Amino acid sequence: MKPARVAALATLLLLVVSPAAAFTVRDMLGREVTLAAPPQRIVSLVPSVTEIVFALGGEARLVGRTDFCDYPAAAQATPSVGGMVNPNLETLVTLKPDLVFATDEGNREDTVRQLARLRIPVYLVHANRVAETLDLITRVGAMTERQAEVPRVSGEMLRRIEAVRKAVAPFARRRVLYVLWPDPLIVPGRESMLTELIEIAGGASITATDGEAYPRFSLEAAVARAPEVIILADHSTGASTAGRSAPDKWKRLTNVPAVQAGRLYSADLSILHRYGPRVPDGIEMLARFIHPEAFR
Amino acid sequence: MSAASRLALALGILGAVLLVVIALALFVGSAGLSPRAVARALAGRAGAESIESIVTLQLRLPRVVAAVLAGGALAVAGVAFQGLTRNPLAEPAVLGVSSGAAFGVVLAQISGLQLSFLEVLGVATFAFAGALLAAAAVYMIAAVPGGLSIQTLLLAGVIVGIFFTSAITVLISIMDYNRLGGVIYWLLGNLAPIPATSLALFAALALGGSWLILRSARELNLLALGEEAAVQLGVDVTRLKRRVFTAAALLTGSVVAFTGPIGFVGLVVPHVLRGILGQDNRLLVPTALVGGGAFLLAADTLARNIVAPAELSVGVITSFCGAPFFVYLLRTRYRATL
Repeated sequence: MKPARVAALATLLLLVVSPAAAFTVRDMLGREVTLAAPPQRIVSLVPSVTEIVFALGGEARLVGRTDFCDYPAAAQATPSVGGMVNPNLETLVTLKPDLVFATDEGNREDTVRQLARLRIPVYLVHANRVAETLDLITRVGAMTERQAEVPRVSGEMLRRIEAVRKAVAPFARRRVLYVLWPDPLIVPGRESMLTELIEIAGGASITATDGEAYPRFSLEAAVARAPEVIILADHSTGASTAGRSAPDKWKRLTNVPAVQAGRLYSADLSILHRYGPRVPDGIEMLARFIHPEAFR
Repeated sequence: MSAASRLALALGILGAVLLVVIALALFVGSAGLSPRAVARALAGRAGAESIESIVTLQLRLPRVVAAVLAGGALAVAGVAFQGLTRNPLAEPAVLGVSSGAAFGVVLAQISGLQLSFLEVLGVATFAFAGALLAAAAVYMIAAVPGGLSIQTLLLAGVIVGIFFTSAITVLISIMDYNRLGGVIYWLLGNLAPIPATSLALFAALALGGSWLILRSARELNLLALGEEAAVQLGVDVTRLKRRVFTAAALLTGSVVAFTGPIGFVGLVVPHVLRGILGQDNRLLVPTALVGGGAFLLAADTLARNIVAPAELSVGVITSFCGAPFFVYLLRTRYRATL
C-alpha cells in the first residue's frame, strides 16, 4: 500500500475511533459512561430524574419517560416506554436515545444489561440522602448542559429546607412511624431517604436503624416503640394506584401515643419518595404533620 | 403409514407451523416496523446501527430463539415426566420441579450472582440443583413398591411445589422492598432477548437434555406396559428412571434459569400431540420439541403485542391456557384413573 493511502486510512480510523467530542463520565455507582457527544436524546427510567430535567429546563432533550414519570404535568406529553420494572425495549430503541437514566432501586439489572448490549449508554443514579439529591441535580445539569440552572434550583431547595429546620428547632423531636405499606408492614430503614427527611422535619423515625432501605417490620415492635406520630403513605395519588392508606386499622391501636394524640396522617407517596426538586415539599409536609404547632 | 414416515410428516407440518410463527414474531412488535424494513434487516442490508436492524436482530431474534428453545425443552420435559410416571398429568410445573428450579434461581439472585457468562452457568447450576432436588423429593415421596400411583404422585408434586413456593416466599419477605419488583416480575415467567453466549449454552442444555430423553424413548414405551413387564422385556428400569428424571430436571432447570418459571407448556403440547400421533414416545419427543417451541413462541408473540406498548408475562398466558386444559383433562379423560 502506498504511504499516502496508509496515511489517509490512518486518519480515517482515527476519526472513527475518536470522535472529537467523545468524553467519559462516572455515574453515581462509579461506572464509566462514555458518550460521543453531550446527549441530545435522553430517556429517563427514573421519575426523579424526569422531574429534575424539567426543573432545570432541559426537557427539550427528553425523548422518553416511564409511566411513573407523572410530574410535572408537562412530562406526560413525552412518550412513555412503559413501567420501571418492564420498560418496552422496542419502544425505547425507536426513540433513538443517546443516553438512558436508570436507577439501581426500581429498575431491573437485566434492563441495564440489555441496554448495554444494545450499546445504549446508561447512566445509573442512586440517591438516598438530600446531599445525594443535590449531587444528582448537578449531574443531570451537566448531562443536559443546563449547569447554569443548577444553583437556582438547588439554592431554592436548600433555602426551604433551612427554613423548615429553623421552624422546628425549638420543639422536642417526636418519634415518627412512617408506613410505606401497611400489610405487610414496610417501613423506611437505615438507608432510606425518608429517615433523613423525617429528621429534618423535627422527628425521629422509630425504624431509623433497622434493615436496609425498606425492610419489613413487625407491628408489635412498631407499637412497642411508642410512635408519637404515624404517617401513612397514600398510594392512590400519581401513577401508582395501589390503594389509599387505611387509617381506621391504626385508630384501633388506642394505646399508641400517636393515636391518642390524634397524630395519624396520610401523605402523598409520589412526593416523599422522589429524590428531586420536590424534596422540600415533602419535608414541609412532614414538618406540618410532626410539628403542626410550628406553623400556626 | 410406517412410524418413520409419520414422524417425517408430523415434523414437516410442525416445522412449517413453527416457521410461520417465527415469521410472525419477527415481523410484529411495538416498534411498528414495516415488513420491508424487517426484511431488509434480516437480509443484512440495513445498517448495523439502524433501528430496524437493532429491533429485529438484537431484540426480536434472540427472544424468538429463547422462546423456541424454552417451549421445546418444556414440552420434552413434559413427555419425559409423563412417560416416566405413566401419568398424563405429570408436568414440570404440576410436579413442583419448576418451583424447585425457581427457588434455586431466586437464591442465586439474592446471593448476588450477576449475569456474566460464567455466572449464567452459576444460575443455571442453582436452577438445575433446585429442579433435581424437587424431582427427587416428589419421586421418593410417591414411590411405593410396585410403582408410582397417580394420586400419590400428583399430591407429592403439589406438596413439593408448595414447599418450594414457601421457600421463595421466605426469601422474598426478607428481601428489601426495592428489589421486590424485579424478583416478582421474574417469577411471573418472562422471555427477554438473551445474549448470544447464554443462548448457545441454553441451546446446548435444551438439545442435550432432549437427546437424552429421545435415546430413552423406546424404553419409555416399554415402561408404559408396566414396570414388571418392562423388566421382563430387558429394561433396566432403575437406570432408565434415573436418567430420564435427571434429563427432565436439566431441561426444566435450564428453562427456569434462562427465562423464568413458565407453566403448563409441558402439559398442553404433549397432550395435543398424543391425541394426533398416539402414545409412541419416539414420535412424541421430537415433535414436542418443535411443537413446544411453536406454542411458546406464539404465546410470547401474543404477550408482546396484546397490550402493546406494555407487555404481558408469557407465563400468564400459558397458565391461562394450561389451567383450564388441566381441569378439562381431569373432568373428562382421566376421571376413571383418579
